[in-house]
Amino acid sequence: MVSLTINGRVVQANKGEMLLSVTRREGIDIPALCHHDAVEPFGACRLCMVEITKAEWDGWTNYVAACLYPVEDGLIVQTHSSKVNELRRTVLDLLLARCPNSPEIRQLAAEYGVTQTAYEEIPDADNCILCGLCTRVCERLGFKAISTVGRGHDKVVAPPLKEAPPDCVGCLSCAQVCPTNVIQYEDEGNKRTIWNKSFELIACKECGKQTITRDFAEALSSQRNIPEDYFELCDECHRRELSVKMGSIVSWSREAAS
Amino acid sequence: MRIETPQQLTRLRKDCLARFNRHPQKIHVCCGPGCLANGAQKVSDELKKVIKKKRLKGFSVDALKETGCHGFCEQGPLVVVEPAGTFYTRVKVKDVEEIIDKTIRRKEVLERLLFTDPQTGEKIENYRDIPFYARQQRIALRNIGQISQCDIDEYIAVDGYQALAKALKKMSPQDVIDEVTTSGLRGRGGAGFPAGRKWSTCARADDSPHYVICNGDEGDPGAFMDRAIMEGDPHSVIEGMIIAAYAVGAHEGYIYVREEYPLAVVNLQKAIEQAHEYGLLGDGILSSDFSFDVHVSRGGGAFVCGESSALMKSIAGEVGEPRAKYVRSVLKGLHDKPTVLNNVESYANVPVIIDKGGKWFSAIGTKKSTGAKAFSLVGKVRNTGLIEVPMGTTLREIIYDIGGGIQNDRPFKAVQTGGPSGGCLPESKLDLPVDFDTLTEAGSMMGSGGMIVLDDHTCVVDLAKYFLAFLVDESCGKCVPCREGLYQLYGLAVAISEGRGTEADLDKMEKLSDTIVISSLCGLGKSGPNPFLSTIRYFRDEYLAHIRDKKCPAGVCRELIRYEVDPQKCDGCMACITACAQNAITGKKKEVHTIDQDACDKCGACLAVCKRDAILVL
Amino acid sequence: MKQRLIVTPDLCTGCRTCELACAFAHSVKGKPGRSRIYPLPTGKHEMWTPVVCLHCDDPACAKSCLVDAITRNEETGAMELDNDKCVKCMACVAACPFGCSLHDAQHDLVVKCDLCGGDPVCAHFCPTKALTCRPVIPTRRKAVV
Ligand SMILES: Cc1cc2nc3c(=O)[nH]c(=O)nc-3n(C[C@H](O)[C@H](O)[C@H](O)COP(=O)(O)O)c2cc1C
Ligand code: SF4
Ligand code: SF4
Ligand code: SF4
Ligand code: SF4
Ligand code: FES
Repeated sequence: MVSLTINGRVVQANKGEMLLSVTRREGIDIPALCHHDAVEPFGACRLCMVEITKAEWDGWTNYVAACLYPVEDGLIVQTHSSKVNELRRTVLDLLLARCPNSPEIRQLAAEYGVTQTAYEEIPDADNCILCGLCTRVCERLGFKAISTVGRGHDKVVAPPLKEAPPDCVGCLSCAQVCPTNVIQYEDEGNKRTIWNKSFELIACKECGKQTITRDFAEALSSQRNIPEDYFELCDECHRRELSVKMGSIVSWSREAAS
Repeated sequence: MRIETPQQLTRLRKDCLARFNRHPQKIHVCCGPGCLANGAQKVSDELKKVIKKKRLKGFSVDALKETGCHGFCEQGPLVVVEPAGTFYTRVKVKDVEEIIDKTIRRKEVLERLLFTDPQTGEKIENYRDIPFYARQQRIALRNIGQISQCDIDEYIAVDGYQALAKALKKMSPQDVIDEVTTSGLRGRGGAGFPAGRKWSTCARADDSPHYVICNGDEGDPGAFMDRAIMEGDPHSVIEGMIIAAYAVGAHEGYIYVREEYPLAVVNLQKAIEQAHEYGLLGDGILSSDFSFDVHVSRGGGAFVCGESSALMKSIAGEVGEPRAKYVRSVLKGLHDKPTVLNNVESYANVPVIIDKGGKWFSAIGTKKSTGAKAFSLVGKVRNTGLIEVPMGTTLREIIYDIGGGIQNDRPFKAVQTGGPSGGCLPESKLDLPVDFDTLTEAGSMMGSGGMIVLDDHTCVVDLAKYFLAFLVDESCGKCVPCREGLYQLYGLAVAISEGRGTEADLDKMEKLSDTIVISSLCGLGKSGPNPFLSTIRYFRDEYLAHIRDKKCPAGVCRELIRYEVDPQKCDGCMACITACAQNAITGKKKEVHTIDQDACDKCGACLAVCKRDAILVL
Repeated sequence: MKQRLIVTPDLCTGCRTCELACAFAHSVKGKPGRSRIYPLPTGKHEMWTPVVCLHCDDPACAKSCLVDAITRNEETGAMELDNDKCVKCMACVAACPFGCSLHDAQHDLVVKCDLCGGDPVCAHFCPTKALTCRPVIPTRRKAVV
């Protein structure tokens, strides 16, 4: 265990833990758009910057990304000093110039007092802030269906050759983690479409409810040894099946007793 | 043939030296990038042909050496006849026969090919007497231009691999680290981190294996020091790396070479093969129990790949994007293992330090920046080329004594050091000694050693725009402040250069720069606003002229200038009329011409062709 | 100490108190969450049974989770789902053969029984003791005839 001071309060943390997870546990709200616990810290959005110092640093302070700064004993952290807020404001202002139409960015920027960007809005920009969560999560799942292409200001998230990604299984995780909800998909009938690729949704053989795609189920069966017939029923029908089974067991044991 | 003992190496050195000096005269043809571009290969081929044809006594093709960059690129192709040091400039194929007939056969000097001192107008025969060379002190560049590009025997002849033998046989790894620490050697790749400290941290790291990596990415536009070393003296880098590996306990190393340097790759690979043959690489080097091998890794083709964490990712086969980590790469580097990363020039200094001692090295230069530093001197300076000067030499000495001053005697305006994210220093800083800390304090940086000299025809707003555009292009795009911030900073600079800027924009740019510097993830972003910050620091007036008066004092920013014909000077020669692609100039022969401002697109073609200085930039 | 929920269908009346208790115990920002437990008719003798996660020895939910968001809490024995890690791919919802990983549509979260950190609220509220909670005492397994 290490002990550090955050906004004047002494808190305990586990060695090797990142600052952001400590502040989250303490209920301190720090914006962190490129962070998700499912993947390694990335340090791209820079919104989680905090001010750090130590008693022995002689008044010298540093600004670090909380999502990947490991806690240290004796660290003194300010999560919302005026300088930190100013840095966040500028970064949010820049993001607002990039995605002027994103409700999520607009709201976060407004929280830091930016309602209108001071910079040139980027012509025909989409709402992607290039946090890389979609590609990193997809990689973490083992599919690596999408990636970032290009560099610098022209970087975009795209499937290989911008065509329907052969390795995508339609699990939707990318769309789920996207902080600005950029990734579009559609479930219609028994068909799901994402990244311009169509998937069959498995319908529960009792009630027809759809949960995941056939491709995803097949991937789970082959990679994780989940029997394929597990996917034939939806969760609700599975529960019903279990209750019926339990009823049979009870009545069987009653009959056996009598 | 394997060399087993230091004694064998010494014997081999004697043999090599004898062979090296077998000919009373030698011809060195510079085959560095500058000279090659000017036709050096043809000159060399012709020399070989003529030598074979003439069958001179005591002189064969073996006496001709194709060397690495001799330095004085501006005067190339260069041919040097040693040992006299007779220095022929701008040599053409048609000069070859005469060189052989006169200089080699009759020891006569060809006056017309000699260098003329622009100050005195005198011809100088021996290159060592030319101020460009006389003021230099070559340590890292010691062999370049003196030996064939890729010949281990010649490297051994000039004391190559003696330092390695000394380290392996007479010194412990700790002794080696101590010697490097004593030398005060600081990294030549940019940040100037003390090499000894880096090595010692790595050596002490528990995790294994350890790696050593050489950074040969050299992404700064206009810089070619590392290229010259890798192509012209690859063995010095390899020897430096083996010594480093011995010191930090590494058995594997990588040389990461910029994608655009295919010859460097070829020469390094050749050199590695030669070193293997002699048993200087591989298992049990010089019969010790130390083993080390080195691989050449081709660069990922982006500027940011030169950044340490991006470089290590690129070597590991991943996308070369910087990784944010607050654990230093010397502890968790390549494959998350302890790694020493140094620049090409840093390694090239190591054998000399081991050979002559850290004290010898630290006596050169200044107290905190020891040794010498290589620069590629380019821009509006008379003598462009590759130089190496003791640390602490002033900018004025470099630009005026070595560089020969500004071309066409125009006024000096600024010197840009440290590559694209370095800074510009004005005339008032010319007497600053060049060392790591002084340059940083003055708002520029040492960088890897690019030095661009600018005259009064350079507009600093335009310059900042140029470097910002480069950085916007080269940003990997991972983090927001660099990707979006530099883009906006560039946009604001463009607006100023087009007369659309306001004074409030300057404040905005300064504030934005501050955020980019503090919050970017890697060094590219952190130093990205420098082209703006250093120019605004020293040339605020010029920015204000663009903003308030809508004028570009240097006459560069197209939107703010117009070309006019000076009726006093124009003699109606019609040269400009032919040159103008827009047909914007009218006038009859021997009558004063006029420029139609609406049609003119300000390309400057007229200005370039007018022999009478009659085109005015207003 | 590892806990186990003991279900006695004979005693369940289908009153759904457990469901309510669970929903309130798993509120998100003051709003009740989706219950992880469902009393359902068994189809025999008008008998009901609460259906809840069995915290299996070889759990399909954890096996199907490609980001390792579901792990066993070694203290309580529960298979717990970490919502900060979950990417809502629905694999566990589809894979659990007992339907005990669920999608809470209102909060857009994937949820499952976590034994309330070792003291299941449902058991406290069950008026008939159809649900009880007992520590697991490691014993030799008896052969089932
Ligand atoms: C964007 C960026 C580009 C860099 N490019 C180079 C390069 O081309 N060559 C180099 O030696 N160092 C480069 N560096 C510096 C390296 O990260 C590293 O500090 C250096 O290679 C360490 O070697 P040294 O201590 O011997 O200088 C670059 C740094 C940054 C941030
Ligand atoms: S939906 Fe496709 S692209 Fe998105 S995370 Fe799943 S596999 Fe990857
Ligand atoms: S699409 Fe969404 S998740 Fe992916 S990089 Fe863009 S903002 Fe991030
Ligand atoms: S500072 Fe620039 S180059 Fe470095 S990680 Fe950020 S975007 Fe990439
Ligand atoms: S929905 Fe969440 S917990 Fe379930 S498998 Fe997917 S990531 Fe894991
Ligand atoms: S959450 Fe830390 S940089 Fe984005």
